[in-house]
Amino acid sequence: MSAVAEEEARVSTEPILRVRGIVRDFGGVMAVAGADFDLNEGAITGLIGPNGAGKSTLVNIIAGAIRPRSGSITFRGADVTAQPPHLIAHRGIVRTFQMSSEFGKLTVLENLLVAVPGQEGESFWGAMRGRRFWEKEEAALVSQARVLLERFSMTAKEEEYAGNLSGGQRRLVEIMRGLMAKPKLLLLDEPLAGVNPSLAQEILGYLGALRDEGLTMLMVEHDLNAVERICDPVIVMAQGKVLAQGTFAQLRKQQEVLDAYFIG
Amino acid sequence: MSTAMQFYVSTLLVYTGVWLLGAWGLNLQFGTAGLLSFAFIVFQAVGAYTAAVLALGPQTDNGGFQHYIGGYDLPFPLPLLGAIVVGAAFAIPIGLVALRRLRSDYQAVALLVISIIATNVATNEPRLFNGATGIALVPKPLASWLGVDLITYQWIYVGLVVVVCLLAYFVVHRITHSPLGRAMRAMRDNEYAAASLAKNVIVLRILAFMIGGALGAASGAILVLFIGTWAPSSWFYPETFVFLAAIIIGGTNNSLGIFVGVLLVPIGFAESTRFLPSIGHPGLIDALQWIAIGFLFLIFLWFRPQGILPERKHRYSSEGKLLTVMQLVSRRLPIRSKVKGQAT
Repeated sequence: MSAVAEEEARVSTEPILRVRGIVRDFGGVMAVAGADFDLNEGAITGLIGPNGAGKSTLVNIIAGAIRPRSGSITFRGADVTAQPPHLIAHRGIVRTFQMSSEFGKLTVLENLLVAVPGQEGESFWGAMRGRRFWEKEEAALVSQARVLLERFSMTAKEEEYAGNLSGGQRRLVEIMRGLMAKPKLLLLDEPLAGVNPSLAQEILGYLGALRDEGLTMLMVEHDLNAVERICDPVIVMAQGKVLAQGTFAQLRKQQEVLDAYFIG
Repeated sequence: MSTAMQFYVSTLLVYTGVWLLGAWGLNLQFGTAGLLSFAFIVFQAVGAYTAAVLALGPQTDNGGFQHYIGGYDLPFPLPLLGAIVVGAAFAIPIGLVALRRLRSDYQAVALLVISIIATNVATNEPRLFNGATGIALVPKPLASWLGVDLITYQWIYVGLVVVVCLLAYFVVHRITHSPLGRAMRAMRDNEYAAASLAKNVIVLRILAFMIGGALGAASGAILVLFIGTWAPSSWFYPETFVFLAAIIIGGTNNSLGIFVGVLLVPIGFAESTRFLPSIGHPGLIDALQWIAIGFLFLIFLWFRPQGILPERKHRYSSEGKLLTVMQLVSRRLPIRSKVKGQAT
């Protein structure tokens, strides 16, 4: 077997992300106390738990925004523990944020264009060489972005400043922006927060379609109906630790999960 | 035009160029990259000092009455080019200290502190910068080679300033209308989201700081080579706020707007108060000038924060090409679109 084939075989059998023993505290308050889990490729894994369970901290640690005190994160076989966010993103882990994080004074189209890493015109000398140098690549990216805008029914908003959009539309911009970066793993931190029910259903439809196309996602969400609808498996966190994982139906039957989350 | 008027107008044009270069530089740091660069005036001072010591001969010249580093007697344009290089290089240590690990509000405080430290060191260290007295007798570029009268030289210098401004505009425009400028604006709007999209925000910040610093240094060099003197008192931190006022009032991230802001704030205010009759104690007019600029600044922040000419939207054609200013203007003209509509 060739080295490339061996590597492909290894990647296809191993989990895409492996989290081991992650610990992080803030001024003595333990936010994540030794979290362990794996993410399988091509699935939407739900990450649920009561407020303060450490879900968003864990997403921030995976994305490189917060450094863990100890533990390791392996992505597609490579150790990415405590790497800075831009290097993590270069590897293909892209995220959305709990609070809307659109680039408010950029148009919707620009929000999508800026998401593509390593563009020709993004270096100083690339910019100095002028638009003839980067315009061809730019036109191709605009065309890709317009396909996404159409898919998410946002074509009419192309030239709108992202800061002028509704909360739900901003969520869509964040998801489209993440997709422009062609991620291998998309981290979604409460993508339905502040979104009206009908748009939330639309977003769930889009996420389900993306999963069917093979995109791997980790979704932190409080809306259990949404989690039940599209997440499989589901990881439950409480007090900084992974309490249980499995299908939503399995978790409903576990008393410790019911105690920690479903009941209170 | 009388000789006195020619002297006045040409001097005013040189000062306009100096302010414009600096304002474009600060705008790249503040308007494009979102860095509240309260140390900006230090770049102008560093550029001015570098140009002065590159143009001056050794300290022993003129009886050795002043102290400075170097004294290389270099011909023009080397002092200007040297100033630009040093201005850009100076941005690296400042950027690493102030921009690498601090949050944006603390960055602003750190830069303000750096500005205060710099002017205090320059004022109190006579062996390096000749103390509060500063440096004098900086030779005028190409003056002896040209061998022309004062007024002709003034106009030649205006031409030089125009050329430098056009080159600066070229650089600023290429950056702000490129994917690099877009990445900087994204960082300005949300640095965490930009980092999560593979943008190295530290590199982007330092790059914006270097280019802005180079423009600030060019502005200082043009000024010191024109007036022939350099003194720390000209580069105190409040001067940064005049640049900032010109940008906010003219229009952040709009090169033409910033030009309007420069004409209104540093040039307009300084020149309009020049013709006022002297009132009150000495220095009262200057103080009133600062108060007026301050009020104007606040009025714009409250009622028109986008400035007189706001930042332009970046729009794309159906072929995916970034529209130029002329294309945007023609797209807005109703007659043009009507004709186009009829044709189709």
